[in-house]
Amino acid sequence: MNAHPYAMSFLLATAHIHGPHISWAELSPIAVLGVGALVVLLVGLASSQMVRARLVPTLTLVAIAGAIGTEIWRFSHAPQTIVAGALRIDDLALIADLVCAVAAVAAVLLAWRARAPREAGQGEFHSLMLFSLMGMAVLVSAQDLITLFLGLELLSIPLYVLCAAEYRREGSLEAGLKYLIIGSVGSATLVYGLALIYGATGQTGFGAVAHVLASQSGGGLLGDPLLLTGIALVIVGFAFKASVAPFHQWTPDVYEGAPTAITAFMATATKAAAIAVFLRFFDFTLTAEHVNWAPALAALASVTIIVGNVGALGQSSLKRLLGYSGVAQAGYMLTGLVVGTRLGVSATMFYVVAYLLMNLGAFAVIVHQERVSGSDRMAALSGLGRRSPLLAWSLTIAMLALAGIPGTIGFIGKVQLIHSLVNGGYGWLAIVLVVGAMISLGYYLRVVAAIWMTPADARGVAVAGAGPLAGAPVAAFPPIAGGSPEADLQASAGGGALGVERLTGDPELLLVAGVFGALCIVFGVIPGPVFEFVAHAGAALVGLR
Amino acid sequence: MIFAHASSAPFSLSILIWLPLALALVCAALPARVTGRALAALSLLPLALAVTFVANFNSSYPFPQFVTDHSWIPSLGIHYALAMNGLNVSLVLLTTVLFTVSLAWSALRDIERPRLYYFWLGLAESAVLGAFLAQDLILFVAFFDLMLIPFYFLVGSWGSGERVRATIKMVIYTAVGSFLMLAAAIATGVIAAGDHHTALNFTFGALEHLPVSRTDGEWLFLGFAVAFLVKMPVVPFHGWLADAYKSMPIPAVAVFSGVVAKVASYGFLQIVLPLFPQASHHFQVLMLIIALVSILWATAMAFTTRDVRLVIAYSSVAQMGFILLGIFSLQAPGAQGALLQMLNHGLVTAAAFFIVAAVAARSGGSERMDDMGGIAFRAPLLATLFLIVTLANLAMPGSSNFIGEFMILLGTFQSHLAIALIASLGVVGAAFYGLRLFIGAMHNRVGGRVQSFEIKRSEAIAIVPLCLIILVLAFYPQFGLSRSQASVNLAIAPATTSAFRGSQSAAALLPTFASLDGPAGWWAYPLLAGVSHSLPGKPRRIYTYTTASSGSGSGQ
Amino acid sequence: MALDWYLAVSALIFCIGAGGVLVRRNPLVVLLCLELMLNAANLALITFARMHGGEAGQIFALIVMVVAACEVTVGLGLLVAISRRNLPIDVDKLHELNG
Repeated sequence: MNAHPYAMSFLLATAHIHGPHISWAELSPIAVLGVGALVVLLVGLASSQMVRARLVPTLTLVAIAGAIGTEIWRFSHAPQTIVAGALRIDDLALIADLVCAVAAVAAVLLAWRARAPREAGQGEFHSLMLFSLMGMAVLVSAQDLITLFLGLELLSIPLYVLCAAEYRREGSLEAGLKYLIIGSVGSATLVYGLALIYGATGQTGFGAVAHVLASQSGGGLLGDPLLLTGIALVIVGFAFKASVAPFHQWTPDVYEGAPTAITAFMATATKAAAIAVFLRFFDFTLTAEHVNWAPALAALASVTIIVGNVGALGQSSLKRLLGYSGVAQAGYMLTGLVVGTRLGVSATMFYVVAYLLMNLGAFAVIVHQERVSGSDRMAALSGLGRRSPLLAWSLTIAMLALAGIPGTIGFIGKVQLIHSLVNGGYGWLAIVLVVGAMISLGYYLRVVAAIWMTPADARGVAVAGAGPLAGAPVAAFPPIAGGSPEADLQASAGGGALGVERLTGDPELLLVAGVFGALCIVFGVIPGPVFEFVAHAGAALVGLR
Repeated sequence: MIFAHASSAPFSLSILIWLPLALALVCAALPARVTGRALAALSLLPLALAVTFVANFNSSYPFPQFVTDHSWIPSLGIHYALAMNGLNVSLVLLTTVLFTVSLAWSALRDIERPRLYYFWLGLAESAVLGAFLAQDLILFVAFFDLMLIPFYFLVGSWGSGERVRATIKMVIYTAVGSFLMLAAAIATGVIAAGDHHTALNFTFGALEHLPVSRTDGEWLFLGFAVAFLVKMPVVPFHGWLADAYKSMPIPAVAVFSGVVAKVASYGFLQIVLPLFPQASHHFQVLMLIIALVSILWATAMAFTTRDVRLVIAYSSVAQMGFILLGIFSLQAPGAQGALLQMLNHGLVTAAAFFIVAAVAARSGGSERMDDMGGIAFRAPLLATLFLIVTLANLAMPGSSNFIGEFMILLGTFQSHLAIALIASLGVVGAAFYGLRLFIGAMHNRVGGRVQSFEIKRSEAIAIVPLCLIILVLAFYPQFGLSRSQASVNLAIAPATTSAFRGSQSAAALLPTFASLDGPAGWWAYPLLAGVSHSLPGKPRRIYTYTTASSGSGSGQ
Repeated sequence: MALDWYLAVSALIFCIGAGGVLVRRNPLVVLLCLELMLNAANLALITFARMHGGEAGQIFALIVMVVAACEVTVGLGLLVAISRRNLPIDVDKLHELNG
């Protein structure tokens, strides 16, 4: 680690204690997740199927709840830099942590009866998810280039495995490999960029780098090719993670192939963490060079908004559609970052929260659709309003919110972003955002039309009966070594006729869809609490206007 | 002070706005077969409430009345501000009337999935009332966009023909405008606050104190104008109109064309002219030409189409063209005529759509003019009602529409003579296509599948009340005019050319405005150089502003 | 010898790695190319550590090595799973998901 003068004097002052001081209180959000992951992994070894199928997810939820508890406990405390300057626990980090943790809770609920944890093993599946969540917690509080990289990898590597969790399904394996290759390219690019930044400044701590950049007179960023290349490579590396165009091509493929619970987790939590670290890196570490990187990121954001929205237009698979929509939404979030003001940071974090609420409800409905009809085709939504009004309404609200219709949180989020853009002198970017929102209506409304406006004939139900979740495809696969016993049980059980309650939706799916659908409306009408919440994020980054 | 203050009403405007939605939710809990009738009966409540407000409305007071103002999103300076003024008072009443009538029409028919259907109608009424009453720019945009959602579902789920395509086309067309308006609205607040170093505030009253610079104002004007022009619609922004009107269910199309389209023209008067006076003046000719093209093109289309519903649809494009013409004549008579015409046209077009449905029911369900004819012989009462509506639509002297169009043309004559002369052709054209429609449907040879019968209860419940109101207005057009006059003068004053850009006429107006007082002092523009210090307070500022803008032509 | 040459070599290796990832089809070779990219970063880190005289760059390089090992492990595991399913080991033929 770098020899931070403050840390050094601190160590000297406490020299009589053997071993360094550990700030358990500040570390607790991360530590709880690590301990939880290990416990879950161990309990997953239990021989009783009941324990594995019920206790493991419950323990996972307990661990995440613990993390959420500690995060709320630490919230709005004075920012603390811990572990010799490697991590900074401030409100920006805690808000991003909370968003990721809520996404993880939803993902665990969505995976409650899914194939993926049974095939991959309950213990492994859930413990990987907890490790990934821990990686996010490290990443968003990283205050050092090394911790940044470490957090990113701790986030990513478990996700590569989780994407391939349904490893009897070709699409899942492919998604895992594809994500691994593209993700590693992104990581390698990022680490090279970090190396160059280290080379240019001689520092790894964010504060120290910012200090060096601020004290450089004259040439600045453009005068230093090493730094310039480094920052460009870092942008590319982050862009891969946050699925920012033109580095987004993996997104729809991986979203489609991965188990849907994991897709939901990736879509919301990974994006939140990536955007948070984007914010911290650019609006804190490189804030002195704002004039130099802002145009590049503004161009990137515009391209992302247009590419994502246009790409989503022709999709018939809901997961791919949400993939492209996620690309476009990442573009919206980037615009707040480009402005480089407190208002912009708050607007971005507001949109991150909004994005979480808007997407999770939609993913719950997709999980339901896959269970009853075996596919996530848009056409299979026909008659959902009659079969399961709650899910139909949740998806409708989610789509309208993503499109930015008033009365939903998506509208307020866009208002806040446009406000920060106009205020920061990026009026043209606000117009790009608005144009993107117009294009997006073309596909969000098609989903709504598929739910309500196709005749609710027997077609939807017929599809539901034909290809239930555990149908022929699973049974046809040859048993292969390493699978968990449940997967085989499930495979042999075969696909029987689905009960009526199956068509209205499993309770945990109804819970997720209902809660997040309702929150989209509640916070769309009463956005005050969310505003107060995210205002802390803007205040956490020092040195911003 | 010669103007009395606004009298207070026993209720808050919030109740008026949200009551329809609440009633729809309550009725959705009832058994499906009684939902419609219960809601139709209960929708008399918002109507009665609106009547109470109109009765308590002080016509001589030009400023917002019955004000509700709460901070909604403090960090963005967005207020939940509602108020009634002369611009929206008659439109609010019109909204409640048309929705009640449409609900009654629906209640006497079998509707699939009735609970959802009535929920969407209830939401639509709440959103339209909200858009009319909102006194905050962002709140207005929110209601304006929200209005679209119920109609998206009403067309998509209960429409006919290519309904899904039609509804998506409609939403995308209108959303293009709406989102641009959202950006423009936010920019207006941010730029105004930045120019004048005040806190962010989006209420109309506050923004009228904070004029944006001329160049900014022009871009912002265009953002708002596109949204309103698409929604009205006028040529060339009318691409969605034919498909959407063709497949919309009759009660929905009646309220859509009757009031939803009016929100847009109301927006010009309430928002664009007071907030962007210089830009309005700058783009005056452009807007007048758009209005003129709409009138001529829509008249030609109405004259050639064989589809009865489209005749009414194109006729309403022509009427919206007239309304736009009146507003951008930037003359008091023109703007007052436009506001009166919004009321008249809302009643007439809604009645016409209901009659089209009644006529179509007699000609085997077809809305083609070729399949109609000879219906009047067995249905004299229906024919009479149709004749009343037709005569009102073609602005027969004696009708309220005649007064509206006359005032619009009068205003336009005062500002642009040539445009007014050409626009008069539209009045003549209206007579042609209106009578052609009436004769084609009611007289002529009896159509092949026509089975004529007298008007039924389920049809009369919508058509008769509307025709009665049209007749009453014909005798008493002052109902609309007297209430709007003061507010309209105030709204167009900053943009008016002849009265306000010349120092002579501004001086003439001083006695009038010197006595004005109220919460929305639009004239409170920042002081400029060369102030005539002899004048007291506000008159001095009027004088300063008007002389400055007429002198340099650039204002602030 | 100037430290610049180490950087030049590192940049070259990085480009070779990136090119290989883009061009090669065999996932095994792609994984190798990824290793090249990471090791190019390591070389740059060590060079800079030497240049600045701090230990941070060396620690960074160690951590990158650990992470690279993790990635390769997961990647090879996925390849084994794919080959057991008798799927083609060719990134272009994995067309269940069309890009």
